[in-house]
Amino acid sequence: MLANVFAKTIREQRRGLAWWALGLVGACLLTTAFYPSVRANAASFERLLDSLPEGLRRAFGADFASPAGYLQARLFSIFAPLLLLIYAVGAGSRAIAAEEEHETLDVLLSTPVSRRRVLLDKAGAMIAATIGLGVVLALAIAVTGPPFEVSISVANVVAAVTNCVLLALAFGSVALALGAATGRRSVAIGITAGVAAGSYLIDVLALSVDGLGWLQRLSPFFYYREPDALANGLDPWAAFVLAGIALIATAIAVVAFDRRDLAA
Amino acid sequence: MNPSTAALAVERLTKSYGRARGVTDLTFTVMRGEVFGYLGPNGAGKTTTIRTLLDFIRPTDGRASVLGLDSRRDAVEIHRRVGYLPGEFGLYERFTALEYLTFLGSLRGGLDERSVRDLADRFDLDLGIRIASLSHGNKQKVGLIQAFMHRPEVLILDEPTQGLDPLMQQEFYRIVGEARERGDAIFLSSHVLPEVERVCDRVGIIRDGRLAAVEDIDDLKGKALKRIEVRVATPVGVDVFEGVPGVREVVAFGDRLRITLAGSIDPLVKALARFEVIDLQSHEPTLEEAFLTFYGAADDAG
Repeated sequence: MLANVFAKTIREQRRGLAWWALGLVGACLLTTAFYPSVRANAASFERLLDSLPEGLRRAFGADFASPAGYLQARLFSIFAPLLLLIYAVGAGSRAIAAEEEHETLDVLLSTPVSRRRVLLDKAGAMIAATIGLGVVLALAIAVTGPPFEVSISVANVVAAVTNCVLLALAFGSVALALGAATGRRSVAIGITAGVAAGSYLIDVLALSVDGLGWLQRLSPFFYYREPDALANGLDPWAAFVLAGIALIATAIAVVAFDRRDLAA
Repeated sequence: MNPSTAALAVERLTKSYGRARGVTDLTFTVMRGEVFGYLGPNGAGKTTTIRTLLDFIRPTDGRASVLGLDSRRDAVEIHRRVGYLPGEFGLYERFTALEYLTFLGSLRGGLDERSVRDLADRFDLDLGIRIASLSHGNKQKVGLIQAFMHRPEVLILDEPTQGLDPLMQQEFYRIVGEARERGDAIFLSSHVLPEVERVCDRVGIIRDGRLAAVEDIDDLKGKALKRIEVRVATPVGVDVFEGVPGVREVVAFGDRLRITLAGSIDPLVKALARFEVIDLQSHEPTLEEAFLTFYGAADDAG
């Protein structure tokens, strides 16, 4: 359990991860359990939705009656990606910055392990843990769905969860890069949260304001939402864009961490 | 002193941080089998120098090498062969001491359990206790154990005895002595003069980021000014000591004289022989006095 920086990082987070997993399962259960009653009243929900502006309606998903539409609206429009994103941004911002702020980094780096290796182990731990939470999410939907008639093809659930994980890792890697470049967790969390909120807003805004289509394409949320993976399966291009953001941010993290002076 | 055979060689090392702090144009060498004390007040640049040796900070100019390896290019190989104790450090609070050491050990290719047990015994530390509940002194012991446990050839220790009780300090001095016997090089920073005096062969004195002197401990003490206190039966005028070799300053009050002396005491004793001396006390200079007389005086002059 303590063989390398990757294992140590996972071990430190095991308790936190257990709570996150429990929360995800709970959220799934609460969502699927209400499906039968929502479907029974689908007509009135849809009237309510019709009163919303077009952009918001599209952001939340308008089709409440079908299992995919319901799950998209209740879980995948904001709740599930937000949970995974918060986890990944937390892990990414902690990776280097927390060790530096707690003054544990000096001793860690005085071992024959390069800075690059430490950073990549930490990035690996963030990726593995986020994927792990994604697996829990997918399993929870697969298990809690059928009893409440929320039956969606496993392939599409996996596609939607994959999108969630990729979105979370894109922002998690940005937080990792900021933490590695500045050594300050609050800076990493603050800026990443701001960027995430901003890009979510841009995506939603662009849905209702004409002529903002180009702006939308700058927002990672666009590549998460637009494919509607729960209904259509994975869109390789959109997934590639999200994975690309994560890769580029991680590469920047490596370079920035390698080059700078570390805080005492 | 060929830098390639030296354990540690610093050449014209400079690190500037905008205005103050940093270090300027440091050059010194530490040989194998030598304990080198790096002495100076807090904020003088000791930690900056040390963290440059370990590649945590990159020099603005000049270079440093450890065991002939370049501090920048060969950092990982240097780390393999060096034991390092930071001046201030945190530990993974949720781990036990043993878990922490096991983790660091695996990063070094496997824990030397016997070495760790031996060090823990000598420092009287229970390795099974969660780090969060260790006292400051015990955390310092964990830091020292991780620095020594892989039997490094070079030890770089930043204020190693802070937080240790006197008994443990003695044990630490013994462990340093044994490492020197084995031919290891020990570079330790301190602002505690008696400590440096006790364990070091040579000292480098750093002030305001510049190396004020590198000297053998004995030479440094030899150069120090002695303080002599004399009680005489009848008051003696200070002019009596004019021209006596080595006498720098005489203060007389009543039947007492306080004399500041450099070098041999003999001429002074001869000069005093004419008077009835009731008492004479010579104070062996501590390194602190040596330090203050030399560098304090330099300050006044400059």
